[in-house]
Formats: sequence, structure tokens, C-alpha cells
Amino acid sequence: MRRTILLALLLLCFTVSSGQNKFTISGTVSDKSTGETLIGASVKLNGTVVTGITTNSYGFYSINVPSGKYTISVSFIGYGTLVDSVNITKSEKLNFSLSGANDLSEVVISSTKSNDNVSNPQMGLQKVNVREISNVPVLLGERDVLKTLQLLPGIKSAGEGNSGFYVRGGSTDQNLILLDEAPVYNASHLLGFFSTFNSDAIKDLSVYKGGMPAQYGGRLSSVLDIRMNEGNRKSYEMEGGIGLISSRLKVEGPLVKDKGSFMISARRTYLDAFLSLSPDSAINGNTLFFYDVNAKANYQLDDKNTFYLSGYFGRDKLGISDSFGFNWGNATVTMRWNHLYGDRLFSNTSLIYSNYNYVIQNKNDVNEFEVNSSIKDFNLKQDYEYSVGNTNNLKFGINAIHHTIAPGKLTSSDRSSINQTTIENRKGVELAAYVSDEWAVTEKFNLVAGLRLSSFSLLGPGTFKTYDIDGIAIDTLLYGKSKVIKTYLYVEPRISLSYQLGSSSSVKASYTRNVQNIHLMSNSTTTSPTDLYILNSNNVKPELADQVSGGYFKNFFDDTYEFSVELYYKWLQNQIEYRTGTDLRGNSNVEADLLFGKGRAYGIEFFLKKRFGKFNGWVGYTLSKTERQFDQLNNGSWFYAKQDRTHDLSVVGIYKVSTRWSFSSVFVYNTGNAVTYPSGKYQINGRTAFYYTEKNGYRTPAYHRLDFSATLEGKPGKRLQSSWSFGLYNVYNRQNAFAIDFKDDPDDASRTQVVRTTLFGIIPSVTWNFKF
Amino acid sequence: MELKDSEPVVVIYGDINDQTDNQYVRISKTYSFTEPNKFNSVTGARVIVTTQAGSVINYSEITPGVYQSPKFRGRAGVSYTLDVTVDGKKFTAVSTMPQKVVLDSLNFREVSFFGKNSLHLVANFLDPKDIQNQYRYLLSVKSKVVEDVVSEDRFNDGNSVANTIYHELNDLEPGDDIELDLQCIDRNVYRYYYAFGQNLGEGGPPVAPANPPSNISNGGLGIFSVHTSSKRIAKVK
Repeated sequence: MRRTILLALLLLCFTVSSGQNKFTISGTVSDKSTGETLIGASVKLNGTVVTGITTNSYGFYSINVPSGKYTISVSFIGYGTLVDSVNITKSEKLNFSLSGANDLSEVVISSTKSNDNVSNPQMGLQKVNVREISNVPVLLGERDVLKTLQLLPGIKSAGEGNSGFYVRGGSTDQNLILLDEAPVYNASHLLGFFSTFNSDAIKDLSVYKGGMPAQYGGRLSSVLDIRMNEGNRKSYEMEGGIGLISSRLKVEGPLVKDKGSFMISARRTYLDAFLSLSPDSAINGNTLFFYDVNAKANYQLDDKNTFYLSGYFGRDKLGISDSFGFNWGNATVTMRWNHLYGDRLFSNTSLIYSNYNYVIQNKNDVNEFEVNSSIKDFNLKQDYEYSVGNTNNLKFGINAIHHTIAPGKLTSSDRSSINQTTIENRKGVELAAYVSDEWAVTEKFNLVAGLRLSSFSLLGPGTFKTYDIDGIAIDTLLYGKSKVIKTYLYVEPRISLSYQLGSSSSVKASYTRNVQNIHLMSNSTTTSPTDLYILNSNNVKPELADQVSGGYFKNFFDDTYEFSVELYYKWLQNQIEYRTGTDLRGNSNVEADLLFGKGRAYGIEFFLKKRFGKFNGWVGYTLSKTERQFDQLNNGSWFYAKQDRTHDLSVVGIYKVSTRWSFSSVFVYNTGNAVTYPSGKYQINGRTAFYYTEKNGYRTPAYHRLDFSATLEGKPGKRLQSSWSFGLYNVYNRQNAFAIDFKDDPDDASRTQVVRTTLFGIIPSVTWNFKF
Repeated sequence: MELKDSEPVVVIYGDINDQTDNQYVRISKTYSFTEPNKFNSVTGARVIVTTQAGSVINYSEITPGVYQSPKFRGRAGVSYTLDVTVDGKKFTAVSTMPQKVVLDSLNFREVSFFGKNSLHLVANFLDPKDIQNQYRYLLSVKSKVVEDVVSEDRFNDGNSVANTIYHELNDLEPGDDIELDLQCIDRNVYRYYYAFGQNLGEGGPPVAPANPPSNISNGGLGIFSVHTSSKRIAKVK
């Protein structure tokens, strides 16, 4: 009875309030000392109506409310909450500046708690606080956002020495990694030891494991939306670090005070500097380094227009004396224009260029050659955000990407026995239009409902073959420039909802469909920078994923602890595998070797985090399964995907002992990968061969590892702030298996032995960080 | 490590070369992983080869698991069909002999890798242009096969080829014989040996192992290869 009255009153309020005058409050939320805009800051209004919104990727918010007196409270994690009272009688611009953690005592920080993780209808979203991760130990003392991300449930590392990660049973190419909206194709340096993201340059990192909102598309399993820092608009700052293996430096400052700023951040390793010190000519001639540069500039023309230019350039180089050279890297450039139409319609127009390429050189006289391979994207995005009343926030827009893949251009000298050859380029266009509404249906029930319409068209020129199920070409057709050869069109619904059970707990559910038009070719157990991408074609259909997920979220002890349990089930279609004996190197007929099948992945993820206090950290545990079914593999039976790991546990603890010392520790444990081991052996011409029955029917030994790190902050109050970080990777020196091989025993040819290779034992590291 | 043993599976390894000689088919079975390496022979099988023209060649068992034909040679461009019957179960394989490519010469080469020098053998020959060629290299030292690798010509079609056989020859003494047999094999046989090598970590990045794609029907393991043969001997001084 009471509930019916409450509901009626609510409806009444709604009808009454909709009749009153509505005004728009809009503006940006930024950091008081640097002018850096804050993404996802919470702006809450309590008065005639109770409503709230979070700032968008540019720190902008817009709420439409009836006139009256309100208490506005603006908050963001790591900053003091700003509370003010305001009388709204007209539409106005209200910008807010929040004071950062450095300027406040601990007590005040702890008051900036939010239960956004509970109330936000967005499911499957994990935000990584870049400041927080600076204390988490990683390999070789390098702060690494991607490695820290892999300590969250549902996100698994591809293993030591491999770049990439798996999200909810998906493969490494199913993650959309965006750096200031530009897609990044190879997110790691030096074969996976470091990621291409310099955490000094990063402002915000959001990961969607499920429930991806409609403005994102193109990959099945996750979205990693990374936003770079804009740069300090008020004063010049320099920050950096010198480590054993690499060093970094960031310089930022105003272009025009309070109107524009720039930021440049660079990093370089110098492993080869150590190599060149060796007297051994076979060692000192080798090259091994990487560098990357993140650069950004922005300028606010007036309060309706802001322009941004950002870029990333990175290169890895590996060379063995005069015989072999290998280099690869990403380059991205993004130009953006924010425009405000009135005070409710926010528009962002982006023009993006992204390039990933690699070069392999074999300088050995007789077989000398050079291979160049690249993928180039031109991308146009137009996004709009429109706030409707105080209950709806509408997002809509379009996106067009033109891909050009140059799979391999092989050049050689006339002396060389290798012929010059070029594998045909491939071009394609992805188009998408989306609309998404974030709707506060009632005070307890929030909904994000969206629809994405996406298409892919394969374009000429070129010679295109169609293959039958056995890989025999049944059709070869020649197309002219810009001719459309094949188009695929899909509708991708995206729904996410949350229902508040109390003030600090909620249940959420979501359903998404994702389409992927570009596929990474790799039949290897390791990832390599030379892995190529292919587009959809007559033979290759877009990959599809349908995911449902549900979860329970609870914060307790006054939002100090965050707990969640999430369940998911993912159906995958048009997954790609390879015929046995496929050689992907310089293969101009890759599609003849492809097999297509389906997959399923499901699991339950637990997460418990202590957010504040001297001691904080988190525990993440995932219990999951991911399987594939291909008619031509494993006799058509379901088999475990390589990345299936039943148990995955991460424990992170950070303990701030005093103002200057802090310690942290990471413990990870996961079930080994699914592998194929022999069920018998036989002889072929005197050579031992192994007989395999079940595909991926066995497991490599479980992987577990403990890391420690200690950070000593320099004395406070000085202009030059510095700190020392000491790290110990793999504290108890566990010889985790990187590879397990079966070989004839070298001492006894009649016996077979099992050989385990380990990549990393215990590794210490030291880094000196500075800031002024 | 606990490995499940499977039921034994028939393995057929047969080849026909272009030399007038006895040709052989070896039939064995898979056995447990923990047993010492051996040739687990299958006796009493019926083995015949039928030529494209229809002639039937009967093989007879000379030692357990080894079946020998009367002397004959394979001819370029001709398909041969192998039929094996073991305990009532039939296995068939087809292979076509490619055109012959002659091994011109052998020479030695010092290969330096990370400061370590080692001696290797190089096979020199001319690859026929505009034909897809597949090669198998059998390197024997003191009459024992020590290296068995394959290559194909998609990058060096029509050129003079100098292929280094990656097997260290540092342990040789003067007077030792090194023999290289350059075989021209058909596409299916090449794919089999390429996948075989992939399982052992040769020829590219490591892959998840799987049974190599065999040209033998009915679940038989092994390969039937009809190939040319061109041998040269290098003597160590």
C-alpha cells in the first residue's frame, strides 16, 4: 500500500515538474591546480528534483532541471567534494574546480566516496585510477596500465613474453584499444614486456568487459578507452623517472594560460646501450630498443569551441649484427573539435589517422630481402550528446573507418635469390550509426539502451578468390578500384540496466551484440608483432558475439569497501582457426587455410576492493570456461580454447606505512593454458613422431607468482619531488612454464623427455622518479 | 605428468623414387609414450601399388613391418595409388611424382649466430620457373639420416637456390661422408612434412601441435610420397 502511494507521488512529482520551467546547467569540471578536465566526475543536484550526471570524456556535463533552490555537490575520486547551494532561475554556465589529493589531508579525501559503481547502470565497466596504479609493482619496475588491468577479474594476461590479453574468454584481437579515440593495433613493446602506454601521459582508463555502450564497436570482447592528459593549463611541470632498463620524461604546460596547454611524454629503453659495452663483437653489434612519444595540445577558442591535437609515435627495433633487422611500431594522430550548440547539445568531431607497420630485413647476402607490411586507417567520427530533461541523456553519432592493409611488400637486390613480390593490398570501409539513451526511469531504476547499425564493405581493386570447404579456389574474380565486392550489415543492440536495492547496493544486467570486421591472423602459441590483419571477404564473415551478463554490487562500511559478483555468458560466431600445417609467413592465399566455427564463454567474477585507508587493495577471482567448436578440428567436438583458465586469482595489497614509505605486493595464480599433449608415439623414417587425439585436452602447470615493491617518497615541500621504487618480481623464483615440449632425450635416443622452458625467474629492479 | 594412452593407430610410411630399385612401405602402430622409441611393426598386411595406367605392383613382407616391391622406378608426372589392408581395414593414398630437379653441387658454409660459429652444408640447384616446386632435403652423415627438412619455392621461383641445411656439422672428422638427397615432392607431401616440422618447432613460430595432414585415408597416420631423388656426396678433408 505504502509503495503504491510512493509510486503515485513520484508520478505526480514528475508530471508537476514537467510543467514547470526547465533550465539548463552546464559546464566543465576540472582540477583546480592544473586546469585538467575530469572525466566521469559526478555532479549531483538536490532540490526541486534530485538528479545527477557524470562528466563526459571532455569533462563536460549538462543537466536540465526546473527552477528552484538546489544543493550542488561535485565530486571525483581523489579530490575533495565541492558542495555549494545555488538558486536556479535561468540557464547558466557553472564550471567547477576541484582540489586535488595533494592539497588535502587524508580525512578530507576519504569523504570523497562515491557509490557510482553501484548506481551507474553501466555494466561491465571498470575504471582504472591511474594514480592508484603507481604503487602496484610490475615487471622491471615499470608502471604499466595494461599489466595492472590484467589484475582485475575477467581480464587475463596472455602470459609472460606475450603481448595482449584475454577478456572473458575472447582472443587477443577482440579488444578495441583506443588512445584518444585512435585504434592501437599493437599495444606492446619488445614482445610483450612493456605496454605502449606511458602511464605519465594517461588521464583516464575505462575498460568495458561487457555491456559496451552503442558508441563503441568493431571488436567483440572489450573496449579499452584511454584518454591522455591535456597538460597543465596553469604552470609548467616536468615529471619523469630513470630506471635500470628504461627512462621516461614528461613536459607539460600552458600554451596560453587557462586557455590552452600541451603535453609531451617520451620513453626509451637502453638495453642495447649495455650490449654495446660488451667486448664480444657478436653481442655489441646488436640492437634492442624501443621508444615512444605521446604528444598533445589543446586550445579553447571560446566557451563553445575547443580544439585538440594528439599523437602517439612508437617504434621497436631489434637487430642482430649485420645479418638481421626487425622494427615495428604504431603511429596515431587525432584532431578533434568540441562544439557546444546552445547549452544542451555537445558535439565532438574527430579525424583520426592510425598506422601500424613492421619491417623485416634479412641482410644475409644470398637470401637478402626486406619485407614491409602495414595497416592504415582513416577514421571520421561525429558524436553528439544531448541532455533531455533531468532524466535522459541521449548520445548519437556516426563513424566511418577506411582500412588499407598492405600484407607484404617484399623487395630484394638483383644478387639475391629471393624474388621481389607484393601481396595485394586490401581495402575496406566500416560504417556505423548509433543512438543510445541513458535514462533514469525511476529513482532506483536506470537504463542505458542503445542500438548500433554497422556495415562493412570490401573494396577493390584486386583479384579475389572464393574457396570451398577444402581450401580449393572455386572462383577467381578481378575487380576495379573502389568497386564494392561484398557488404555485410548488422544491427547491434546494447542494453544495460541497474536497479538500486538500497543506498549502497544494486543489481545490474546487460545484453550486447558486437560485430568484428577485422581479424588478426596467428596460428602460433605466442603473439608476434608480425601477425597480420585481414578484413572480411567472400570467405571470411564478420565475427559476432552476443553477451548477457548480470551482477550484484554492494559497497559497505560507508563506501570504503566495494564488492561485486558478475556472471556472464558469451556466444561467439564465425571464429577463425587454421588448417594444420598453415604457414602464414608471406602467404598470399591465407583465406584458403582458414577454418570457421563457433565458441562459447561463461564465468563468474568476484571482486572485493578496499578503496581508502592506509591499507588498501583488491582481490579478484574468476571461475570460467571458454570453448570452441569447428567441424574440421577435433572431430567436430567442442574443445577448450587455448586461453581457457579455470581459476584466475589476483590479490593486490598496498600499505602506506608512513608519509614517505609505502609497500605493495601482488600475488597471482591461474590455471595453466589448455594444451595438446601426445597420446602415443610412432616412428617415421627413424624419427619419433607424437600422436595427438584430444585438442587442448591437457593443462600446462598452474602459474603463480608473488611480487613486492617498496616506494620511498622524497622529503615533501621541495620544488623537486622525487621518489625511489624498489621492486622484486617473482619473489620466490617460481619456474613457471613458458613452454612445454616433448623431445628425444639427447642422452638416450630411445627415450622421450618433457622439457619445460621458463622465461622469468626472480628479477629485482630500481627506479628513480622525479617531478617538478 | 599423466598422459592418456590411446588405442594403437596404424602408421604407413611408403615412398617410390625415380631410381630403378626396390621400393618400400613400412607399416607400424602407435604405442605408449612411456615406452622406449622403436619401430612397432605391423605384420601380415596386404600392400599393393597401382600406377595411373592400371598396372598393379605387389609388395611382400621381408622383415616385420617392412614391405618390399620388385625393382621398378617411378616416372615424372605419373600418379601412384597405394592400397594397404591391415586386419581387414583398408587404407589408400595417392601421390604424383613431380618433374626432377637436379642437385647441382654442395658446399660448406660458416654460419655465425650470437658469436658462435658452426659449419653447415649448402645445397645448390636451379628452381624451375613458373612451376610450384616442393623440396625435401635428407642429410645423412656416416650413412645415418640426421636432418630431414622441406622447402618450397614461393619466394625464389625460377632462381638459383643455395639453401643452407641447418644442422651443425662441427663434430665431423676427415674422411667422413656427408650425403644430401634432394627430393622433389608433391604438394600434399610437402604440407605433411611442413606440419611435422612445425610440431617440432621448426620453420617459424611455435604452433599448437596436431597430427600432420596425411594423404592416407581412413585415419591412417604417416605419408605416401612419390618423389624424385638427386644425391651428392661431400667428403670431409
